[in-house]
Amino acid sequence: MKAHQATGVDRYAALIDTSARVSRSIASILDLELLLNRTVDLICDEFGFYYSGVFLVDEVGDYAVLTTGHGEAGKAMLDEGHKLHIGGNSMIGAAIANKSGCIALDVGKEAVHFKNPHLPQTRSEMALPLIVADEVIGALTVQSEKEAAFKDEDIIVLQTMADQLAVAIKNARLNNENRSLLEQTKRRAVLLNTANRVGKEVTSELDLDRLLPKMVDTIVDAYGFYYAGIFLVDESGIWAELKAGYGEAGKTMLDRGHKLQVGGDSMIGTCIHQNKARIALDVGEERVHFKNPCLPGTRSEMALPLPFGEKVLGAVTVQSEKEAAFSEDDITSLQTMADLLAVAINNAYTLNALKEAHEELLRTKIYEALTVATTEAIHWIGNKALPISMTVDRMKLDLTDDIPKAESLREDLELIVESADMIMQVKEQLIGQAREQRPRPTLLGDVIHAAARHRGVNNIHIDVSSESAYVLADSTQLARAFGNLLQNSAEANAKTISIKARPAGKNNMVRIIIHDDGAGMTEEVLDTAWTPFYTTKAGHNGLGLPAALHVISQLMGQIKIDSRSGKGTTIEILLPQAFPTRGAVGASPVISLVDDDDIWANFFTGAVKTARRASKPDINADLILIDEFYSGFEAAIEAIHQSGVSRKTIVITAALDVDRMTNLLRSGIDVRLKPYSETEILSLWKE
Amino acid sequence: MTTILLVDDEKLVLRSLEKTLLRAGYDVLTANDCQSGLETFKDNTESVDLAIFDLNMPGFDGLPKPGAGLDLLDRVVETKPGIPTVILTAYDEVAKAKEAVNLGARAYFVKGREQGLVELIEDILKK
Repeated sequence: MKAHQATGVDRYAALIDTSARVSRSIASILDLELLLNRTVDLICDEFGFYYSGVFLVDEVGDYAVLTTGHGEAGKAMLDEGHKLHIGGNSMIGAAIANKSGCIALDVGKEAVHFKNPHLPQTRSEMALPLIVADEVIGALTVQSEKEAAFKDEDIIVLQTMADQLAVAIKNARLNNENRSLLEQTKRRAVLLNTANRVGKEVTSELDLDRLLPKMVDTIVDAYGFYYAGIFLVDESGIWAELKAGYGEAGKTMLDRGHKLQVGGDSMIGTCIHQNKARIALDVGEERVHFKNPCLPGTRSEMALPLPFGEKVLGAVTVQSEKEAAFSEDDITSLQTMADLLAVAINNAYTLNALKEAHEELLRTKIYEALTVATTEAIHWIGNKALPISMTVDRMKLDLTDDIPKAESLREDLELIVESADMIMQVKEQLIGQAREQRPRPTLLGDVIHAAARHRGVNNIHIDVSSESAYVLADSTQLARAFGNLLQNSAEANAKTISIKARPAGKNNMVRIIIHDDGAGMTEEVLDTAWTPFYTTKAGHNGLGLPAALHVISQLMGQIKIDSRSGKGTTIEILLPQAFPTRGAVGASPVISLVDDDDIWANFFTGAVKTARRASKPDINADLILIDEFYSGFEAAIEAIHQSGVSRKTIVITAALDVDRMTNLLRSGIDVRLKPYSETEILSLWKE
Repeated sequence: MTTILLVDDEKLVLRSLEKTLLRAGYDVLTANDCQSGLETFKDNTESVDLAIFDLNMPGFDGLPKPGAGLDLLDRVVETKPGIPTVILTAYDEVAKAKEAVNLGARAYFVKGREQGLVELIEDILKK
């Protein structure tokens, strides 16, 4: 039997007992929804009432809103948003207004009872206020199908239970508030972290194509928004162009070239125009919201300006699928981020402007250099051709003489030939440097040695450390570059030329310093040192230094020159370091190497165990190798021809030269580039 | 007989000009830098009637120097004021031409119009 169905003392005791049990059951529930549902269910189940519901006072204090109702009737009323006016005709309204419980024993007769179609069988009803610390927070309704179902003592017992419920509701509400404060604190920590990350990104990234997409991803990920995008004002100042957009929607809009008019109806347009954040907490109600088919889920939108000084560079849009999605914290932290972003964008603009200025300067410089080079070339060729035309004119006159002077005419012809030769020499300097380079690990010391021998420069001292032994270069072109530099030193009357190579300490480069104690250059000459065809020396074409610069640049190296008149010249070259395969070559033929005791000869005899170096060729060897720059080269070649072993002889050279090669090839002797690695050595007899 | 001092560091130009001037009937003294040019001039100051200097050639210190011919011109005019001189150059630069004339040169002649040079010399000597 249910508590209220008993009679007399038993009934009262049962009511108290049940009330105590209900109170105990609900006291520890901290989830408000669970607490209220459990309460109405317990009241109906334990006391055997027809219906029970809890109303809570709304924020304004005008209405008591049904928050929980038992059974199907409760569900139907909740769906309808059932609420009763406080102080109105209803029992709930009266109980709250009067802060006291009331009973209607036959609801048909009770003036304040509100006829409720969902509860047609109610005959008795009790409404109990929910009071905590003198504040009415709502009311509890308990209804029975019986007439006169409640007695006065029932009010006392159930009001005690209602008081307990009120305290439990207050606790649950406080718990909710605490939880939301905790959530807020956690979110603030996330936002702080995000702001920190953004701060780092904006200071370390100056490429807007990378920075802006990163920013929209960071904002969406950190805040859990639906979408974020960044617009920048175009050069005309009329349009805000989308530069980065989150996800597929962003990609679609970027592909379409999405842009909004500054000062137009869109939130972005207005925000930029007014340099003020725009927030629409329900975009359906916001006049300036631009309905975007790519973002159908947007319910809240915020547009934040990107201000720099007096200017607005653009705006950030953030959108959420929730209504009223943005908290004060969100707005403050996002605007801080937007301010940081604006600084980064301005920095990127400044950098771009600098780059453009630099490119313009470069174009001007290139044009200037081309003009100077062309003018120098024309003058140079004109100067060299001058004796030709002058001599021809003179010869014409001489030939009109009765007895032309043969000796003078012969001299004139020589003058013409010499001038023509000077012009032709330019061809190799011009074409030579334009030839395609084939970089390979190259023994630096050997190439410098070959270049010096080729140009007849003897007073050199080479000091190459073992770590700098190899550079990545085309040995023929590198020998040409070094040859030009050494020849310049020699022609500046240098008594000694020192060449020192050491690792450059960074980026795997080798630093080569060439220093001579020659005449040096004046500042004026130094300024034009790299200009093609500019020369201060008679009989020169002014292409030596420009050709060296070209070769070194093509090898991804650098060259600079420092010189003072009377103090000599120092040239610094950086070349990429190389690391060739090492180790002894396996089975090999017996090789006779005809060479000086130099760096390459030592490398070769170290790698090939069957190689023997000597000053004369061993005609019985399987293969004879002669270094092109061997001091006794001519005699060695003569010996080869006399012995008839040219077919097994190879002249090896650091720098191939077609003219020199042709003579040797014609006599049956092969000419090859010097091998500088194990693989290259093997190709000497395997090809 | 009219004697001309010709100074140019380009061996072929020097010889060719020398032959052209000889053929035109002048006596020609040659040198290939400032120092030897000045020495030749000092040894023959009285007999040299006209001097022709290349603009760019080794200066008095033997080092290549743009405009070295003007230094030599200065020294020569100092030694024999009023001597007619011609500056030879591959470049038709107005500024250099003005500088040469200001230093006392009668003409600034751009190489390449050699027959014009003979006519120019004749003109200068007539005056």
